[in-house]
Amino acid sequence: MIQQVQNPILEIHDLTVSYDQSPVLWNIDLSLPEGKLVGILGPNGAGKSTLIKAIMGLVDPSGGYVRIFDKELDLVRNRISYVPQRESVDWNFPASVLDVVQMGTYGRLGLFKRPGKKEKQLALDCLEKVGMTAFAKRQISELSGGQQQRVFIARALAQESDLYLMDEPFAGVDMATETAIFQLLQEMTQEGKTILVVHHDIHSAMKYFEWIIMLNLHLVASGPKSEVVNEELLRKTYGGKLNLLTKVSDLIRQQEFNPLKN
Amino acid sequence: MENFLYFFSFQDASIAFIVLGITILGIGSAYVGTFSFLDNKALLGDAISHAVLPGICLGFMLAGEKNPYYIVGGAIISGSLATFLSSWLKENTKLSEDSIIAVILSTFFGLGIVLLTVIQKSGNPEMAGLNQFIFGNAIGILEEDLWVYGGLAFIIILSLSLLMKEFRLLVFNAEFGKAIGFPMDRVRLVFNILMILSVVIGIQAIGVVLMAALLITPGAAARFWTDRLSSLLILAGVFAVLSGIIGTYISFVLPQMPTGPWVVVSLSTLALISFVFAPKKGILYRFFSRRKYLTKMHRDHVLKSLYKALEEKKSGLSQSELLALYPHHKRETNRSISYLRKRSQLIIKEGFITLTSKGKSEAMRIVRLHRLWESYLNEYMNIAPDHVHDSAEKMEHLLTPELEALLDNRLKYPKLDPHQENIPRDHDEL
Repeated sequence: MIQQVQNPILEIHDLTVSYDQSPVLWNIDLSLPEGKLVGILGPNGAGKSTLIKAIMGLVDPSGGYVRIFDKELDLVRNRISYVPQRESVDWNFPASVLDVVQMGTYGRLGLFKRPGKKEKQLALDCLEKVGMTAFAKRQISELSGGQQQRVFIARALAQESDLYLMDEPFAGVDMATETAIFQLLQEMTQEGKTILVVHHDIHSAMKYFEWIIMLNLHLVASGPKSEVVNEELLRKTYGGKLNLLTKVSDLIRQQEFNPLKN
Repeated sequence: MENFLYFFSFQDASIAFIVLGITILGIGSAYVGTFSFLDNKALLGDAISHAVLPGICLGFMLAGEKNPYYIVGGAIISGSLATFLSSWLKENTKLSEDSIIAVILSTFFGLGIVLLTVIQKSGNPEMAGLNQFIFGNAIGILEEDLWVYGGLAFIIILSLSLLMKEFRLLVFNAEFGKAIGFPMDRVRLVFNILMILSVVIGIQAIGVVLMAALLITPGAAARFWTDRLSSLLILAGVFAVLSGIIGTYISFVLPQMPTGPWVVVSLSTLALISFVFAPKKGILYRFFSRRKYLTKMHRDHVLKSLYKALEEKKSGLSQSELLALYPHHKRETNRSISYLRKRSQLIIKEGFITLTSKGKSEAMRIVRLHRLWESYLNEYMNIAPDHVHDSAEKMEHLLTPELEALLDNRLKYPKLDPHQENIPRDHDEL
């Protein structure tokens, strides 16, 4: 069940992504409407993070393309926020919480220019939205996992974008914080922002998301929650590894060259 | 002493000039090096510093003399070649980063030594000073050379200050930089060029081999003292300048003595001092805070034993009974007793020890935490009652009043622990 939309804010066309030449995402083809809270669900290794990275242009697709706001990615980067996985950085880096949140303003500042008063104020406002004002001056190495996650979300807010891509923003976050952040995200979608969230917990996914994308190496479903959440599609998504696809991937990896390269 | 005064009063203009040169050189290399240390790329500096040697030799051969432009040019070219080769190998082979660096380092340095030997056999009268490039000689620098090296160091400091924000992003989260549309590949390229330049500026004063130490050690030593990037950079600069000047001074007093090794020796001393004495991260601090914790733990145990005696309807314990409870820790037990007595938590009367009301309340707190934690393990984590004691023995010293309140709240203020023992409250009568 894949529902395409008119005038999509994000269009993914026949996207295939490979690591070390073996495909981890097969022919993803979907489009998303504006102003929705979208959940990306799927088992471990389903390619959820890879999909986000491919949208952001951080991994090169071996086929297909992505269009955002009906434009090329590089033309609209300053309208997209990105929250990487918390584990992707070294939190021992000597920086304060405010330093990290201010990185969200770098894109608008451009090269060479340093953040000034305006950027600092914006960063503080964003910290307030995630309830981390008291931690502004704290070193990031002293934060708990959930606090680190909130710092990353605040950094994304500081980008002041229209489309947000969040990779597992709720990993290691306690229930109360999760609820608070989901409420914040819902408010943002009411203002017309579109938010894509890679998420693990089906229970809270059912509660908060309006649109759901289900992945398991290939696209299982994409559509309004009420239409795609059913037993059959859930089984297709979570019902074990796709034996055949994995075998084909292995076959491709064993070649001395990349057979999928154009 | 005379030498010392002569050197540090800077009455000799050429010495003042050299010290100034060493200062900006130290700041420049420590500045770049700190970033590469934070980026976990310390070995790249080592590879580059060895890889510039063949370039230096070729520059010398082409010029036929120690011309700074030829030598710096040669060094930059072979340094860049090494950097480019290592990233090319990383992308196009499955070799690990450390083996690539080992291969590049030894190949280039070996080639450099071959060329150096060829030059030495050639009988060129100018070659005498070429050995200096291996271990460095700050005093031997000519004014013309200083302008070249100092100028480059100045360029390094300037570019790093201009691109501070970009390099911070590169080291902390390059992927995010790419996501917001920054040309992170080009930022990395600029950074690598600065790395090469920072090796090149030290070839005459410090020597190629030891330049890697001047890049990495200042940042690594400074990291023990601070968690702030700005203070880290300043401190690393201070360390580098300090050791640079010490090395130069020694080369001045003992003209045959190369500068590089002394710079490294003084830097390592600073690093060692940091490693031992730095607050929080130094080993001495950690040793003492652990010992302090262990002493407090033992005091807690003494209080607990006295409280358990109360529970058994005894009014206290005799000193020998208490000592017998910890047969291997007599000295600590005695120390704990006298400490607790001074804090008026217990009284000793004719060798018999009883808790004061203050001591009793503290002992109750520890026992309460112990039993609350046991109850929590049993109830919430389904751990059998005979498996919960060891964990509680450790947690009783750690749990804060805040967590105590939370535990009480979760467990609904229990009266008994899993062993059916009373969880003591302050108002309990014993």
